[in-house]
Amino acid sequence: MNDPEGNRPGEKMENVPEKTGTFVTDLPLWKRLFLLFFTFAKIAALVVGGGLAILPVVEETFSKKYKLLSSEDLLDMAALVQTVPGIIAGNSAAFVGMKVAGYPGVVAAVIGVILPSVTVITLIAAFFPGLKAENPYVLGAFAGVKACITGLIIVTAGKLAVKTLKGAYEGIAFAAYLVMLLFFRINAAFVIFLSIPVGFLYSYILLKRLSAEKGGTK
Amino acid sequence: MSLCSLYFLFMKYGFLCFGGGYVLIPLMIDDFINRRNLITSEAFGNLISIAQLTPGPVGINAATYIGYTQHGVAGAIFASLGVVATSMILAAGASYYVTKWKDSFPVKALLTGIRPAALALIFYAVVLFLGMSVLTPEVPLIPCVKFLFTGENTFPAGLHFSFPSLLICLAAIVLLKKTKISTTWLILGSAALGALICS
Repeated sequence: MNDPEGNRPGEKMENVPEKTGTFVTDLPLWKRLFLLFFTFAKIAALVVGGGLAILPVVEETFSKKYKLLSSEDLLDMAALVQTVPGIIAGNSAAFVGMKVAGYPGVVAAVIGVILPSVTVITLIAAFFPGLKAENPYVLGAFAGVKACITGLIIVTAGKLAVKTLKGAYEGIAFAAYLVMLLFFRINAAFVIFLSIPVGFLYSYILLKRLSAEKGGTK
Repeated sequence: MSLCSLYFLFMKYGFLCFGGGYVLIPLMIDDFINRRNLITSEAFGNLISIAQLTPGPVGINAATYIGYTQHGVAGAIFASLGVVATSMILAAGASYYVTKWKDSFPVKALLTGIRPAALALIFYAVVLFLGMSVLTPEVPLIPCVKFLFTGENTFPAGLHFSFPSLLICLAAIVLLKKTKISTTWLILGSAALGALICS
């Protein structure tokens, strides 16, 4: 199935180091596991609203700081964590864990991501069962965090848009899906399921055209 | 309900969950309140307010809370592990095989297909996040969920624009783009600032 001609135009132009399969790093395994556990625990403890709010922090830690993920990996992550069933936080932890340290990494990242919830919620349920957040400062702090996360997601969305929208197909498909989500209230799962055959169709047409062109020049 | 069935029930929720933990809430309402009568709707309302006001992914918070009400700490742990079980199998598998077969036609075609859709979902999330922070001081979670799944507008009439939130949001964007400040400090700083100006 390996077909070098199947590359989409422009895909190879990026200066991203190819990091397929084999993982090159100087960090020892225990350090990577600790990093995964600690980062995902930190994300889960700080981020209110979960899910996609994880992306900016993953990019900062694993891509910029430790260079364990390429920008291509981040793009794949943003796409796949929303495609595979499961909550986005858990999917992101498992996805990054696998990339960075294999299956032990998955376990470390997933334990990290559930630990703050288990601790905090259990403490609240055990000691303050009737807790209602009425303290204006607490509410204000949460409003501040949500506003900050909104800003972080906007930045991440902008970066991903630059990387994803490389041609007419991406632009038109993106606009169509966004209109479906925003104005026609079409379910997110349906949009993802629709996008898969569309992607296969487009890739197939591209492949056919490329081989036809090659045949023509010979 | 035994620990084992709690684990498998939350595993089922994880499997049914596409695109974020908010999807789980209508499912849990149906299961725990309507069908099994395991918790009262009052306790569930309490859960929602705790799940959105405590840090952590909403789906995992909800699992932990329901698990705790059923079986104490062990229940909390089993329910949370259950809800991430699908991720540990499917997302980890996707990560491994997509890397392994990166250059094959099916993987490329799959990514070609889902990348624009995933981007659209992220922009949609931006719209929702703006609605939860800049437009109103608190998260109207149940109206948001209803709006997402039925398109029914049940937002309270007093939905108003929050200038302090907009200020923090813009400040976060500028600081992230122009300085090297870490997201941890940005989030903690916003919490402190929010306590002062959003209260």
